[in-house]
Amino acid sequence: MRAGWSYVGRRALFALITILVAISLNFVLFRLAPGDRTSALRCQGCTQEFKAQVRAEFGLDRSVPEQYLVYVKETATGNLGRSFVTQQPVLAELWKPVRNTIPMVLLGTLFAISLGLTLGVVSAWRRGTITDRTSVWSGLLLYSLPTQWLALMLIFYAAGPLGLPTSDIADPYLAYENPGWWPELVDRLQHMVLPAATIGLVLFGEYTLITRSSMLEALGEDYILTARAKGLSNWQIVRRHALRNSLLPIVTLIFLSLGFILGGAILIETVFNYPGIGLQLYESVTERDYPMLQGGFLLLTVSVILMNFLADLLYFRLDPRVTE
Amino acid sequence: MSALAVEDLHVWFDLPGGRELHAVQGIDLALEPGERLGLVGESGCGKTTAILAMMGLLPPSASVAGRVLLAGGDILAGGDRTMRPHRWTDIAMVFQGAMNAFDPVRTVGDQIAEPLERAGLAAGRAARTRTAELLELVGISGERQDRYPHEFSGGMRQRAAIAMALACEPKVLLADEPTTALDVMVQAQILELLVRLTDELGLAMVLVTHDLPLVSQACTHAAVMYAGRIAETGTTRELHHAPLHPYTRMLFEATPDLRGTDAVRSIPGAPPRLDEPTVGCPFQPRCDRAFGPCATTRPPRRTTEPGHLTHCHLEGGA
Repeated sequence: MRAGWSYVGRRALFALITILVAISLNFVLFRLAPGDRTSALRCQGCTQEFKAQVRAEFGLDRSVPEQYLVYVKETATGNLGRSFVTQQPVLAELWKPVRNTIPMVLLGTLFAISLGLTLGVVSAWRRGTITDRTSVWSGLLLYSLPTQWLALMLIFYAAGPLGLPTSDIADPYLAYENPGWWPELVDRLQHMVLPAATIGLVLFGEYTLITRSSMLEALGEDYILTARAKGLSNWQIVRRHALRNSLLPIVTLIFLSLGFILGGAILIETVFNYPGIGLQLYESVTERDYPMLQGGFLLLTVSVILMNFLADLLYFRLDPRVTE
Repeated sequence: MSALAVEDLHVWFDLPGGRELHAVQGIDLALEPGERLGLVGESGCGKTTAILAMMGLLPPSASVAGRVLLAGGDILAGGDRTMRPHRWTDIAMVFQGAMNAFDPVRTVGDQIAEPLERAGLAAGRAARTRTAELLELVGISGERQDRYPHEFSGGMRQRAAIAMALACEPKVLLADEPTTALDVMVQAQILELLVRLTDELGLAMVLVTHDLPLVSQACTHAAVMYAGRIAETGTTRELHHAPLHPYTRMLFEATPDLRGTDAVRSIPGAPPRLDEPTVGCPFQPRCDRAFGPCATTRPPRRTTEPGHLTHCHLEGGA
């Protein structure tokens, strides 16, 4: 059987190189902009001597290759600079909102995967029936709805009847009551439901449509006819042959959208005022907090590359034709 | 009792606009154990449709009528429910282009053993042993059962497909152009293998092909199809040396002969459309012996010797 370690190694190396390229682009892009950190200094005391001192302080007097090496080294050790606004290290400032975003996104994605894949398979199998047409149209509708509009509609029409909070991540008064971990967990989950549902519904539409078409393609293959001739039942045909083959493109899609969702949640987190990475990036933009933005973009890049790497690994497990 | 008998088999396909295409227009076939029947005809004459119908494998847009008798019992009558228990255990198939007949993400052995498990014949270790036996039977090392289809060459895959078809020891084997897309050497090997196995196992085989020399080489009997009907059926020898239907004769004349000096003659024209009813003999516009009744009356079924049948107005051979 295939050991696959050399495949994993090569994929990992490729991912690292991609990250390095992304980091380098980050470095180059900000230096393409005219001027530097001292250009904007317009004060009485801003003499040439003072500017030179500031440049030296930030290491801007050194040569560009030298600056690059320092930048790569510091980035690799996790030093992304300090936020202009809070004066705290960027990595720690980013980590807090990321920790809030991850469970919310995962909740929505799990919802979308379980329902979207099921409905996609069912509607492919029952092609042309009412079930199929209903799921295609609802999938198409949800997929094409603007995210922020869907979020607003959920606030208007779902939050009230369901008694769900529409803003923030936790009830601020709950902490004073010191109720223990269970009510706190329930409170957190309640705050998560609507933003997660928004992500979930949009992804659900996408996954349903893609699963359906991928499944239809698999069902038209010759080996499905072979499976029928072998006397397998419909369910056995789907489970043993069609599903695994149609999953191949879907796996890639799911991991790719997981990578992007950290950034893509900006609109949702803004509408729900949910303190995740999306809202943080939005605030950093309005506050011109460049170190935070740089760090945030780096984080997004790394998460996309990481998810791609994971998709590659899973693909290797699922498809024997992928060789080392 | 015949191993396989097909009586008055019809297949219609629904076309958009409520029209129908009458792809198979009442064919009769009968095979004894050990017989090999070559089903020949031009592309689109209904060969593949006919054998897919025999196993109930046509898409839902097709409607089928007639009887398919396996050892005397009609398997077609109850639809999928009566058909499914017979699939692969009594009647199995080698598909056209084995390239895609295997699921690319499961091992070859897994797919050969699958019907064994389904039919409750063998499971686990016993299924693996049986799979190895089957692969050895077609000349592939049993250890290769853990390999994936893409790791097999085209010829090996076709042989593995034959091994798979034999898994449940069926009595009837349907082979749909099992040697197309293979090079000539491999074609000969596959054909030899099929002949040997049907002889050894007493299988009845229907070999669908448009390759006449292949039929002469491998089959005891032949049925020539034209426009969804059987033009002529009999032993291979009878069809070759004493054809009753002009189409049979013209098909043989259109085949290059290694020893003969006769020029190869093609058959002019094209087969009729099957989505409109035909009056008279469907081959009449292309026939070099057409006369009075051919254009107006559907040719009767005639027989000269037992088992040698034709649908043609000509009496006394073509």
